[in-house]
Amino acid sequence: MIRTDKPLLSIRKVCVDYVTEHGNARAVNEVSFDIYPGETVGLAGESGCGKSTLAFAIANLHEAPALISEGEILFEGRDILKMSSTQLRDFRWNETSMVFQSAMNSLNPVLKISEQIIDVILAHKKVSKEEAWTRGAELLSTVGIHPSRMDSYPHQLSGGMRQRVVIAIALALRPKLIVMDEPTTALDVVVERDIMDELFELKEKFGFAILFISHDLGLMGEIADRIGIMYAGKLVEMADAAQILEQPQHPYTRGLVGSFPTIHGPRVRLEGIPGNPLNLLETPEGCYFQARCSDCIDKCLTQQPKLTQSAQAGERDRLVACHVATDLEVPA
Amino acid sequence: MGFILRRLAFYLAAIFVAISFNFIMPRLMPGNPVDALFASAMGKMPPETLAAYKEMLGFVDGPLWKQYFVYIKSVLTWDLGPTIMLYPVQVTDVLAAKVPWTVGLAGLSTLIAVFIGIIIGTYASYNRGKFVDSFMPTFWAFVGAMPQAVTALFIFFLFALTLRWFPLSYGANPDLDPAFSWTYISSILHHGVLPLVSMVLGGIGAWIFNMRNAMINVLGEDFITMAKAKGLSSRRIMTHYAARNAILPVVTGISMQIGFVMAGAIFIETVFNYPGLGLLMFKSLESRDYPTMQACLLLIVVFVLIANFIADLLYLWLDPRLRN
Amino acid sequence: MTESAHQPPALAAVQSNRFGLVMKKYLTAIARFYRGNPTAIMGTFIVGSLIIMSLAAPLIAQNEPTKRVARGHQPPSMELLFGSTRSGKDVFSQVLHGGRISLTVAFGAAALTTVIAVLVGISAGYFGGKVDEILMSVTNIVLVFPQLPLLIILAAFLGQVGPLIIAVIIGSTSWAWGARIIRSQTMAIRNKEFITSAEVMGESKARIVLVEILPNLISIVVGGFVGTSIYALMAEAGLEFLGLGDPTVITWGTMLYWAQSNSAFIVGAWWDMVVPGMAIAIMGGGLALLNMSIDQISNPKLKTGAYIKIWRKQKAQMIARRARS
Repeated sequence: MIRTDKPLLSIRKVCVDYVTEHGNARAVNEVSFDIYPGETVGLAGESGCGKSTLAFAIANLHEAPALISEGEILFEGRDILKMSSTQLRDFRWNETSMVFQSAMNSLNPVLKISEQIIDVILAHKKVSKEEAWTRGAELLSTVGIHPSRMDSYPHQLSGGMRQRVVIAIALALRPKLIVMDEPTTALDVVVERDIMDELFELKEKFGFAILFISHDLGLMGEIADRIGIMYAGKLVEMADAAQILEQPQHPYTRGLVGSFPTIHGPRVRLEGIPGNPLNLLETPEGCYFQARCSDCIDKCLTQQPKLTQSAQAGERDRLVACHVATDLEVPA
Repeated sequence: MGFILRRLAFYLAAIFVAISFNFIMPRLMPGNPVDALFASAMGKMPPETLAAYKEMLGFVDGPLWKQYFVYIKSVLTWDLGPTIMLYPVQVTDVLAAKVPWTVGLAGLSTLIAVFIGIIIGTYASYNRGKFVDSFMPTFWAFVGAMPQAVTALFIFFLFALTLRWFPLSYGANPDLDPAFSWTYISSILHHGVLPLVSMVLGGIGAWIFNMRNAMINVLGEDFITMAKAKGLSSRRIMTHYAARNAILPVVTGISMQIGFVMAGAIFIETVFNYPGLGLLMFKSLESRDYPTMQACLLLIVVFVLIANFIADLLYLWLDPRLRN
Repeated sequence: MTESAHQPPALAAVQSNRFGLVMKKYLTAIARFYRGNPTAIMGTFIVGSLIIMSLAAPLIAQNEPTKRVARGHQPPSMELLFGSTRSGKDVFSQVLHGGRISLTVAFGAAALTTVIAVLVGISAGYFGGKVDEILMSVTNIVLVFPQLPLLIILAAFLGQVGPLIIAVIIGSTSWAWGARIIRSQTMAIRNKEFITSAEVMGESKARIVLVEILPNLISIVVGGFVGTSIYALMAEAGLEFLGLGDPTVITWGTMLYWAQSNSAFIVGAWWDMVVPGMAIAIMGGGLALLNMSIDQISNPKLKTGAYIKIWRKQKAQMIARRARS
């Protein structure tokens, strides 16, 4: 599907480096993509591929030793990375909020839930404490928690409830984009199902865009419109969710998709991806995936593939960074 | 609630251990415990008083457990007999006179040291890698490693002896009568400055260290990142999110430090001739007045336990995870 | 041809090389510890120099520490680097010779403490259950006792005690805190899978403790040793200052005692008091620096690494670049 409206979030050639005494490790390497209003974009990849680092970069949350060294992050046209701290504080949570991986760790253990919902409302809107409290109670019921829980402390709630609270806080200011970093990884599958269903409903109801980060491609397939695959800090493939899952083009994507068992369908032998993740302080010339790729050709060893439109005709929104995939069907 | 009861039970047990320790110590010494214990009393006390004293402290005829019971009874009924070095003043009277000075000195200096230490520690943690952070902990490590007696003596030498800004000894001007008058109270304050400063200097390093490390640990937690992502003011993050959590291990540290504070008090009171329990302990040491020394120990133990208990209550108040 | 009794040459060569490899591994680990770590370097330098100077005391100091070499309370001069005491003895010589005993007491007491703390901590943490309860009750009570008053009474009852006894009584009363920390670390490690697998494989408990658990506790144990040395040094000085030590033995603490008895400060002979005091402070400070750098190993977050300066510089460059575009 080709979008003609303006993107909500535009990430342009963003690089995030981790500064060490032995040099900089580039955790996010010239990543560019857009998120349109109301769209759900998934970002998948193995641990350490840079997806969480990118998520943090969106709200400019990085502290030493991480540094957003290059690129622009445009939210409705304004570059977040150029904002002053006051502008940044206004922007945060108002326009973009976040849901982190472990709700237990995201919530302040010594403050009540009510305080943690109210303080973000009061920090951004000029309302009275009572109004903020009412709003908070409303938010809790939206995610299926009884308002009487407002006076609880985080340790008094179950894992699933805590995650719902974090989602409720994320919705507090009706942001246009919610970045979710592995929101269900820490939960068991039953609770995960509930949360995902609820997320879907909320998304339909309020119309926010989601950047859904996970290593679980199967889960992502349910909720995402488009999926991007990251490897060693680079975006290696980006297409509609269905295309990624059914016709992956990048060898790494194929490996990822192939690692997930399906409940239905014939029983096939699972194939993993051989080799180890890349050491970001010692990057090779040429494609980063070369050591683990079964389709590797000579060109891959010397030239880094750029994210380009896939050679397959008629599909405008398919991007892939692979010499083999893009050189396909190019006449000799 | 169960938490409090368990702590109280523990402290009661500790007190009993202290009392028992006092009971056992003289009996473990080489030679006749009675003679050793009361050696310094010879010639000072009339023999009947001495006999009654010995009995009261459990040196009666009979098996050990009988002696133990007599001793416990004396201690618990606060019947500790006369001091030897200041005969015939009763031990309990002497203790009662000294207690307020030490409690005041130790308590006030701890409060000040903790308060200033927390502020400096927070400041250091927020300025990692800058001069403040590398200089402060190192500087205070050295100051803290200086024996408290030497620091106290140095301050004494500089401010009392040389500059004559502050008096040389005593808790208050000995010519004045104790009263609630401004003259007396100001005299107390005047005499208390140098001991207080010495105590604070000796202890503050530990607080700076504790708070700095606790803050650094807390600032690395996810909920701090979330607080930043929420766009909260840095003031709110530093107080409600960071410090509120960092203070918990610091409060635990208070319990550890109290013993050290009391030790410092002993040295500093000795140097400044400050009329507290520490000086009493030192003086009874000099005159080998064992019963008074043991009573001092017991009282110091009791105060340490009370301070610990207050720290426990404080921790309970600050950490909602314990209230269930 | 039968196999000879001794090993084939290749194997022998590999085995002798193995020792070299292990040594190399340790040396590189040590080098990495010190690189860019001014705290560790300074701490080691201070501690090392004081230890070496004390050990070499007879070589460095011209005068015997107990011999009267000048008039009483002479200020520092070219002949007497640190002046003389009330009875005319060389303070420089005394502080060097006294250091041998003070440091031996400090490290000896710390060693004793560490051994007890390790035994108690690992047993409580690894065996758990009743053993843990009993050990912890005892530990908590010892922990809550104010150390110095206890030491004072012990020393008082024992009469005037020499440095050896002082070391023993300090060592046997200071283990509680270290035991608690070792216990909680042991419990954290115990629940990890490699321990469970070792148990299932039938490794003896002793072997598990020595080979699997202990190596992971090294930094805490070493940190505890260093921390206790600081405390023991101060406690020894404190006890001797109060008159509980043997005044005929020269240690930093007895030097303080004599200085105080002779009213050093009041008569203006500050060097009598300040020199041993500074010796203790410098040694204690050096140990504290070492302690801080060891802390940074167990908790890397505490590191004030060089990377922060590099980061700040790069960040400033980045902001300037963005402002221009």
